[in-house]
Amino acid sequence: MAEKTGKQNRHWKSPSHRSAVPAPKETRRASTKKLVVIGLLGPQLDRSTGPDRWNMWRPSVALCQHEELLVSRFEVLYQQRFEKIATQVRADIAQVSPETTVRSHYIEFVDPWDFEEVYGALLDFARGYPFSPETEDYAVHITTGTHVAQICLFLLTEARYIPGILLQTSPSLRGEDSVGTYSLIDLDLSRYDRLATRFHQEKEESVSLLKSGISTRSASFNALIEQMERVALASRDPMLLTGPTGAGKSHMARKVYELRKQKRLVTGEFVSINCATIRGDAAMSTLFGHIKGSFTGAMRDRPGLLKAADGGLLFLDEIGELGCDEQAMLLRALEERLFLPLGADREVASNFQLIAGTNRDLQRDVAEGRFREDLLARIDLWTFRLPGLRERAEDIEPNLDFELEKLARAGGDRVAFNKEARDRYLAFATGREATWSANFRDLNASVVRMSTFSRAGRITVEVVDQEIERLRAKWAVPGSTLGRGAECQDEGTDSGRTAERVQAEAAEIVASQTVTRPDLPLPLPDGVDPENLDSFDLAQLQHVIHVCRQSRTISDAGRALFAISRTRRRQPNDADRLRKYLIRFGLSWESVQG
Amino acid sequence: MIHIDGSAGEGGGQILRTALALSMCTGQPFRMSNIRAGRKKPGLMRQHLTAVQAAYAITGSQGAPVATGALELEFVPGVVAPGNHTFAVGTAGSATLVLQTVLPALLMVTQAAGADESPMESTLVCQGGTHNPFAPPFDFLERSFAPVLRRMGAKIGLTLTRPGFYPAGGGEMLARITQVPKLKHLSLVEKGALVRRRALVLLACLSRNIGEREIHALQAKLSWPKDTFELKEVAGATGPGNVIIIEQEFEHVTEIVTGFGERGVSAERVVELAIEKVRRYEVAAAAGAVVGEHLADQLLVPMALAGGGEFLTMRPSRHSVTNADTIRKFLDIPIRFTQRAEDVWHCVVG
Repeated sequence: MAEKTGKQNRHWKSPSHRSAVPAPKETRRASTKKLVVIGLLGPQLDRSTGPDRWNMWRPSVALCQHEELLVSRFEVLYQQRFEKIATQVRADIAQVSPETTVRSHYIEFVDPWDFEEVYGALLDFARGYPFSPETEDYAVHITTGTHVAQICLFLLTEARYIPGILLQTSPSLRGEDSVGTYSLIDLDLSRYDRLATRFHQEKEESVSLLKSGISTRSASFNALIEQMERVALASRDPMLLTGPTGAGKSHMARKVYELRKQKRLVTGEFVSINCATIRGDAAMSTLFGHIKGSFTGAMRDRPGLLKAADGGLLFLDEIGELGCDEQAMLLRALEERLFLPLGADREVASNFQLIAGTNRDLQRDVAEGRFREDLLARIDLWTFRLPGLRERAEDIEPNLDFELEKLARAGGDRVAFNKEARDRYLAFATGREATWSANFRDLNASVVRMSTFSRAGRITVEVVDQEIERLRAKWAVPGSTLGRGAECQDEGTDSGRTAERVQAEAAEIVASQTVTRPDLPLPLPDGVDPENLDSFDLAQLQHVIHVCRQSRTISDAGRALFAISRTRRRQPNDADRLRKYLIRFGLSWESVQG
Repeated sequence: MIHIDGSAGEGGGQILRTALALSMCTGQPFRMSNIRAGRKKPGLMRQHLTAVQAAYAITGSQGAPVATGALELEFVPGVVAPGNHTFAVGTAGSATLVLQTVLPALLMVTQAAGADESPMESTLVCQGGTHNPFAPPFDFLERSFAPVLRRMGAKIGLTLTRPGFYPAGGGEMLARITQVPKLKHLSLVEKGALVRRRALVLLACLSRNIGEREIHALQAKLSWPKDTFELKEVAGATGPGNVIIIEQEFEHVTEIVTGFGERGVSAERVVELAIEKVRRYEVAAAAGAVVGEHLADQLLVPMALAGGGEFLTMRPSRHSVTNADTIRKFLDIPIRFTQRAEDVWHCVVG
């Protein structure tokens, strides 16, 4: 690996260079965190043997010789063939800097002047390095290595793959000592506009990270993702993801978390919950935790999800389902970073980023008094509407391939369409008939079903035809058992679990081929949103409403509905049972009569 | 809590070292601000952090983490426990200064330790620079300072394992220290008859020619017998180094002057600077001074701990005056410098 000489080195900070780029802010270090230096061994500059080496400026050794700069650890990167130089450097650092632990890392380039190769090797190092910015400060030594390596280290630091500052060393001006000088440059405090443009390519990579798993050919979706990426990297404010169920809100929230994590903008965990699954008393304790003994059954302290997301990202899907008390508490947690667990007399702090998901019109909920206006104002600073699959017809084909690939990766056998089957499926999938009402969940389920029915890894025309029929039936019946099951559960992205579930459903369908489907239900009364009901409840409710509408009085309806169980009761009060049942859905005898 | 303004007087690291030493001896915590405020690189340097850590190590306690560049420090000593310790100083910083910091506490039986009658021994291994400009070199500690301490009742043995020079460091010295119940008052008002003198040139990993030129220049300046000049090529040094040691041993005191070879400074110039210091001592000594500038500086702490002592010396350096001020923060003992002649001052402790 070649590198520049000390003389050229000074050129790096020569006045002409400085005039091109605003002078960086040099920082004095007065931190009690440990300082960790990451740098390349300089096979030229650091090479020197014999006692006279102490008269030479060797940047890697010299940076450990400053009386005010205490390097706790030095991560030295070099090609294995420079082991001898590295050994000498390690021994000399041990001598002049007993406070420093030196750790060696082999990093191999065929051509240290090849941008792509060097960048890739350094990026791999950075990605694999267990950075711990809470306890350590990092400084990237950019004086050694080829110009290419120096630029790559600069880029990686600027892009925050390495969460540190730059450390630049130089020999003493008149060569009066071998220690020389150094400067610490915090890129966050300086503006490197010109160089920043070089990072454009770098940023592309971040964008593709957000997209990974959601392949896209849609230009508008692409633009949306780019906006999200910019917000994800620049802001810790809450985000609101809207869009139909199955559009990938949960998936996108996780991707935002992964992107922020990769850029070390977040240190905690990703915590995700669907608020629709925690309605009622459990919601408070699930979200905010409780203290042992705060209510019957509270056997021990429970920290709650907000605390679990401390330093991380909390995804609250279906945020519109939160009760009033939870909304109030959440607002305080967002504004003050404090909240009160159930039964606790002291507030708990948690610093989390919130991403909320909803497929409801929260503005309308605010107007109707179901959602706090102040909470909505707090969370809809950055709102992104994820389009449904139908609006992204051009993305169906890549997503189909992605789902097949995902199945294969999840441990299943590789399954492929034969050409005719694929054409037929795509024609249907992108056609007007396909509503994709549950979006990616529908597509995922459809692929799982087809692969379950496939033979010897081939999805045939017959399998596709059957699947098209199933999808037609599903979309023709709002809220039918097919696919509805998945919607009312927590959005797990675990494809294995989803696959299992769908396979079970598929088996059930096979078994129930002879059972005639119930009549199409009547339209539901106002105030009942089938999207928010379990299929179990929905089917029952639809039948109850059907009977109610055919009955003259509530007692008639009750008698019909409880015909069997009423015979076992001493005092059957069918009307009361029915009234109570309807109240659970916010309905009354009058309202079902419509 | 004793408060010390680190910018007072000479404003260097000596205030910190004296404060640490006396804090350990007396068990009084202190808080220091404006540490090395007047220096080009203000605040604590790595060698000071090492001194603080060494102080914590021998008192078996631990303080809050301190960063380099910190301008403030709070030190709460634990109980001094003799034992074996290794202290390594980075940046080829002076190992002798670390020894100087912990030595007084290990010399004297302090606090609760007195209950146990058996003498308590410590062995210290100090690594780093052993011959640094602006710090007492090992030869000074061994042949000038330690003999005076022994006359005060101290039990101390010093051995140089290998020398360490700036910038490579890597030197090592060994100190064996036994605690004694009390240090004795000492009066150094007469130097006595000349016992021995010599001019020693130490040379490590450098051309012999440099040493020869220095010997030659020394011979030209000092009309001493030929066999008092010695050129010693040091074995085992880890990096280059060149020191001139000019030593005059009298019955009651040994005066050692040192000069350091430096890049870009000729051998002759190095000798010239050292000889100037020798001449200054000789002029003062002719008028009755006994103790040279550097030894005077080192004697204040042990004499204050002994509860008394006196010596005749040269004009006190700013270093000595600042040191005396720091001592008085911890020990209720007067330290007075009175001029006796043009170049002679009488220092009375207690």
